[in-house]
Amino acid sequence: MPERETVQTLCRMCDDRCAINVYLEDGKIVDIDGYKEHPWNRGRLCVKARAAVDMVYHPERLLKPLKRTKRGFEEIPLQQALDEIAERLLAIKDKHGARSISIWKGEAIGFAQEEDMARRFVHALGSPNYFSNDSMCYNGRYFGYRLVEGSWPVPDYENSRCVVIWGANPPHAHPNMTQMIMRARKAGAKLIVVDPRMSAIARQADLHADLKPGTDGALALGLIQQLIETQGYDREFVEHYTVGFTELAEYAKAFSPERVEEQTGVAAAVVRELARTIAAAAPRVAVYVGNGPEHHENGINNIRAVACLDAILGALDREGGNRLVEGFKANHLTLYDEIPLEHLGPIGADRFPVLYGFRQECHTMTGINTILSGEPYPIRAMILTAANPALTNPNTLKVREALGSLDLFVVRDLFMTPTAELADYVLPAASFLERVELHTHAKYQRITMTRKILKFPDVQDEYQFWHDLAHRLGIGEYFPWEDETELTRWILEPTDISLERAAAHPEGIEYTPIRYRKWEKEPFNTPSGKVEFSSQYLKDLGYPALPEYKPPAYLESPDPEYPFVLITGARKLIYYHSRFRNIKRFRTAIPGPEVELHPEDAAALGVADGDSIRITSRIGSVEVPAKIKSAVEILPGTLQMTHGWKEANVNLLTHDDRFDPISGFPLMKAVEVQVENV
Amino acid sequence: MQIVIIGNSAAGLSALSRFRSIDRESPITLISAESGTAYSKVLLPYYLRRKIPYENLFIRRPEDYTQAGIKTEFGVKVKRVDTESHTLTLEDGRTIGFARLLIATGSRPFLPPIEGLAGANVYHLWTLSDTEQLDSLFRPGQRALVIGSGFIALQAAWAAQQRGLKVTVFELLPRIMPTVLDDRAAAVLRQKVEEHGVEVRIGIHTEAVERTRKGLLRVQTKGHPPLDVDLIIVGAGVRPNTELLDGSPVQIDRGIPVDEYMETNVPGIYAAGDVARGPTAFGETHQTHALWPTAVEHGRIAGANMAGRSVPYQGSLNMNVTEMFGITVASMGKFIEDEGLTSHVIDEAGQSRYVKIILREGIPIGAVALGDADDTVILGRLRPWIRNQRSLPDVGGFLEGRYLLPRQVA
Amino acid sequence: MRIVEVDPTSCVACRNCEYACAFKQTGDFDIKDSNIRVNFYPEERACIPWTCVHCGEGWCMEVCPAGAILRNPETGAVEIDANHCAGCKMCLLACPSGSIHFDKVELVSKKCDLCGGDPACVKFCTSGALQFVEEEEAYSFRRESLDNKLKRLFGLNKRGS
Ligand SMILES: Cc1cc2nc3c(=O)[nH]c(=O)nc-3n(C[C@H](O)[C@H](O)[C@H](O)COP(=O)(O)OP(=O)(O)OC[C@H]3O[C@@H](n4cnc5c(N)ncnc54)[C@H](O)[C@@H]3O)c2cc1C
Ligand code: SF4
Ligand code: SF4
Repeated sequence: MPERETVQTLCRMCDDRCAINVYLEDGKIVDIDGYKEHPWNRGRLCVKARAAVDMVYHPERLLKPLKRTKRGFEEIPLQQALDEIAERLLAIKDKHGARSISIWKGEAIGFAQEEDMARRFVHALGSPNYFSNDSMCYNGRYFGYRLVEGSWPVPDYENSRCVVIWGANPPHAHPNMTQMIMRARKAGAKLIVVDPRMSAIARQADLHADLKPGTDGALALGLIQQLIETQGYDREFVEHYTVGFTELAEYAKAFSPERVEEQTGVAAAVVRELARTIAAAAPRVAVYVGNGPEHHENGINNIRAVACLDAILGALDREGGNRLVEGFKANHLTLYDEIPLEHLGPIGADRFPVLYGFRQECHTMTGINTILSGEPYPIRAMILTAANPALTNPNTLKVREALGSLDLFVVRDLFMTPTAELADYVLPAASFLERVELHTHAKYQRITMTRKILKFPDVQDEYQFWHDLAHRLGIGEYFPWEDETELTRWILEPTDISLERAAAHPEGIEYTPIRYRKWEKEPFNTPSGKVEFSSQYLKDLGYPALPEYKPPAYLESPDPEYPFVLITGARKLIYYHSRFRNIKRFRTAIPGPEVELHPEDAAALGVADGDSIRITSRIGSVEVPAKIKSAVEILPGTLQMTHGWKEANVNLLTHDDRFDPISGFPLMKAVEVQVENV
Repeated sequence: MQIVIIGNSAAGLSALSRFRSIDRESPITLISAESGTAYSKVLLPYYLRRKIPYENLFIRRPEDYTQAGIKTEFGVKVKRVDTESHTLTLEDGRTIGFARLLIATGSRPFLPPIEGLAGANVYHLWTLSDTEQLDSLFRPGQRALVIGSGFIALQAAWAAQQRGLKVTVFELLPRIMPTVLDDRAAAVLRQKVEEHGVEVRIGIHTEAVERTRKGLLRVQTKGHPPLDVDLIIVGAGVRPNTELLDGSPVQIDRGIPVDEYMETNVPGIYAAGDVARGPTAFGETHQTHALWPTAVEHGRIAGANMAGRSVPYQGSLNMNVTEMFGITVASMGKFIEDEGLTSHVIDEAGQSRYVKIILREGIPIGAVALGDADDTVILGRLRPWIRNQRSLPDVGGFLEGRYLLPRQVA
Repeated sequence: MRIVEVDPTSCVACRNCEYACAFKQTGDFDIKDSNIRVNFYPEERACIPWTCVHCGEGWCMEVCPAGAILRNPETGAVEIDANHCAGCKMCLLACPSGSIHFDKVELVSKKCDLCGGDPACVKFCTSGALQFVEEEEAYSFRRESLDNKLKRLFGLNKRGS
């Protein structure tokens, strides 16, 4: 009889972190299913979760450190790898200064303590150059809401009477968010979806606004205009808790439903209907903004305009609206107060002061330029963990050239990726089933601790890696904890939750009860302490104070040579960014890349479903099979292609020099392209 | 209340289980001319072509009968039914009384009146013992003639071909499967049959069978050279087993006509299955299908009514499916074009896929599907539309797999 | 008994259930192997998941000439015993909701068996459109709007079967 055991932890095949039961036989994982007691997923999982078993035992998994030699990659002992890396880092530090060393943290390791360890390490070393995937994910929304409301609130779906999903596709991107939305609908809530495509969630929408990509701001301002005109806004809230309402109202006047229709393609009648629907549900309107509006040259102001709706409807921090989250007051690993390094010129901080100001992080695209140019100072070494920018950052060829030119490039990953192929050292990384860490589910104000279920001999968890390297570099004092469990104990120290208690509650522990209307007693986390329709902070930095709408370039000055507009990055349920392409059964389900297009465009091009087409932007070309959608699923003239495919990498087409001026986010969801039948 | 069921097959067994689900008490006697527990006629060709093992032919275990609390009389024929005294006479002379009686005696194969056909080396594929006999004769290289080209005849041909025999099929009419397929489907199937090396001769009139000195059968036909074969399998239709009612007041007319409660003209006497002629879904009052599903439906209606319920029959809807010669062949309802009918057809000759739905004023009344089993699923979904006479506004969409309204949801 | 209740007003056709079921059957994600099927009709914005409801008087079960379809006494599921299925496909033709399919590799018919009482499709349905509920309680949700959606989709006016 094999020895059986069941352990609860969180899935981290994506960042939703659903609670799972992990079934072991003689210490080997044999199955995974959902753990019912956690409120996030209530026992339900997406099919990625079970594939964690395949991932951790994958035959291609890296289990030994690799070093680049003239003969290609060769296995070397772990201690030797760390010794050599430390030695080379010290040499680079001596030659070019500490700030020539950088860290790039990817999505795959998450945003909890593993992120903070990386930040801590680089600061302890004396470099401000912490890069992350957040140069093009999350921050756009975070900034948009933070600027208006002081933080990014969470939608209180279950108590809502109207759920607005704006540029997000939860069924594929946040699978279990779907059940929350559907619970709201069953209780009578309306569902509004704003998306150029009929995404999976739009299939259940009561109203679907299929706007042209990048015109979100016009629609949001149009709704504001309607709500004000029809007196459908919360006068009292606006009066007491906001600044800049008059200016906003004045600015929004120009956004009549007709003007909105002309900009967005959404019929004026639909705009009115949307406004009526949310006004009728106010203040119980829960709005979730996804990745869609972020990747545009006007992204932040578009998101700000959407964020303004919360306050106008009085939905902010009210039941059924968008709730402001109270954080978990634990110890933080970052060293921004202890070792401020702003004076060293964090890369991108001058051009994107909000990015550094709000998040203390550098701008990856500027970083790539810096590596290549040595300006304003050289970046010669990088430790990259859990990222694959050679596929996922814009302008792939440039990214590859830059990363390949570093004096020292260390990559930590589970698999040999196109990014890892450029490295001097590739170190095997621990999967989420091999790490102890604390996770916060902001929606439920809960923390949940994960379990170290597996251990492979030469595979270090994140903490062990930073710890061992730090001790070789003379900064060991910043990594005093013996292992990640002890570190976690320290993180919990100031709280009333002990490590043992956290371990005993796989369903998570509510760290502070959920409260609404906190604004009655506490100021907002904005410079004025109020909701800011108009931002002095931005104005001082030279940006417009109001969330002004600027039409996307492809509409304002269409380029006849590139008449199509390409949306990139719509999530597929089973793939996550560039991950999981090596899970065999996933390939059965979705065998390869494809580009979605409208049937009329396909007909005009003479393209049949599955035919290869060539897509060309100003900087590059890819060939990819066509997926002809039905006429109602995508707008004519619009294409959609998911990122992360080696076989047809859409980031060969995307630009690394066209940004939202506030966040520095690249334009990835309205790329002008031309299309040929090949 | 003494219940007697004659017939240990589809109709009899389905009546038995329905009766028992309502009435656990009344004594039941189940009689069958064949010995042994029930086997499935439908599966006989599957065994013959070695798709399933011998033991899988049996669909009841001895304990199933004991558990049902019934008395069995297997291996003994019923000779006579006396409706006055409510007694049966068995061939061994015993008599059994009944309060209610079900006649589910099925049918038997018909031997066409061809000179010399009756005799040695001429077989049917109908009962278990027929099958056992054929099984012992199926040796590679032997030559077999199959007379007839209906479902069972062709399954026999397919089994023989699979077992390495050289097979020829004779069909009197100008195409194969005259009653179960339309012309186009028959042509597609015929091509498949021939691709498997089975020779098909249509419109052929068999005149006589002679037995040569070497023990061969020489088959004489009109206008063709004689054909020498080792054995003949006859599949030329069936006749109901009604002899036991000869001389009784139970009405017989090419089978036993029954009403919508499966009752004969004599109260308390019911008939079901191949032997019965019951109502159809199309409003015909007395029809024989000689199909397993019809026998099952008949049985359950008869069983319920014999147990005192009053359950009228919706009428049978003929449906038939089988796989042979590497292709799934399914048909249902009325599938021959006629005046006032429209048809919706998918004909992908290259793929050997053919689907046809026949409609009357937008209401589907029948269908044929050849090719993949997926199309059988579509036919299955169409069945309630036919039965309930619902109009199908979008046949194309339906064929693409549109779901019907599930009963539980409506 | 408990059955898998499907709610077309919550389903988003994400296909988690189909993958989960196919995986359970074969270890792969070929949705043709799934015993639950989701149809999506973009024009009507309709997502219709469907699987066997384990009918009280399962017509497939009664018709199977091999006696291969039996009710599991513990779960109440109508199950096909692959060792006894002859592959005659009569059940495919018998099922009015198309819930049985033919496995072209094993040459037997396949259908939902409720995974022995803990159906994978439900565990992997992230929209909550699939629920594993007592038969009597199933389909009590928002009848009206569902009916309308289905009627629009199928152009029906009469009661179904
Ligand atoms: C080889 C073959 C393949 C077939 N394939 C298919 C198919 O694919 N699909 C389909 O729908 N149908 C098929 N059929 C037809 C199907 O098997 C019959 O329609 C079905 O068996 C009819 O059932 P029944 O109970 O009415 O009669 P039967 O199955 O014929 O059973 C009659 C019973 O009555 C008993 N009996 C008869 N006379 C007496 C008597 N005087 N006294 C006592 N007992 C008696 C017999 O022993 C037997 O138990 C096939 C038949 C055969 C032979
Ligand atoms: S949504 Fe899927 S991949 Fe993401 S955490 Fe949940 S189960 Fe894992
Ligand atoms: S295919 Fe198998 S399960 Fe279905 S009816 Fe035939 S023997 Fe029974």
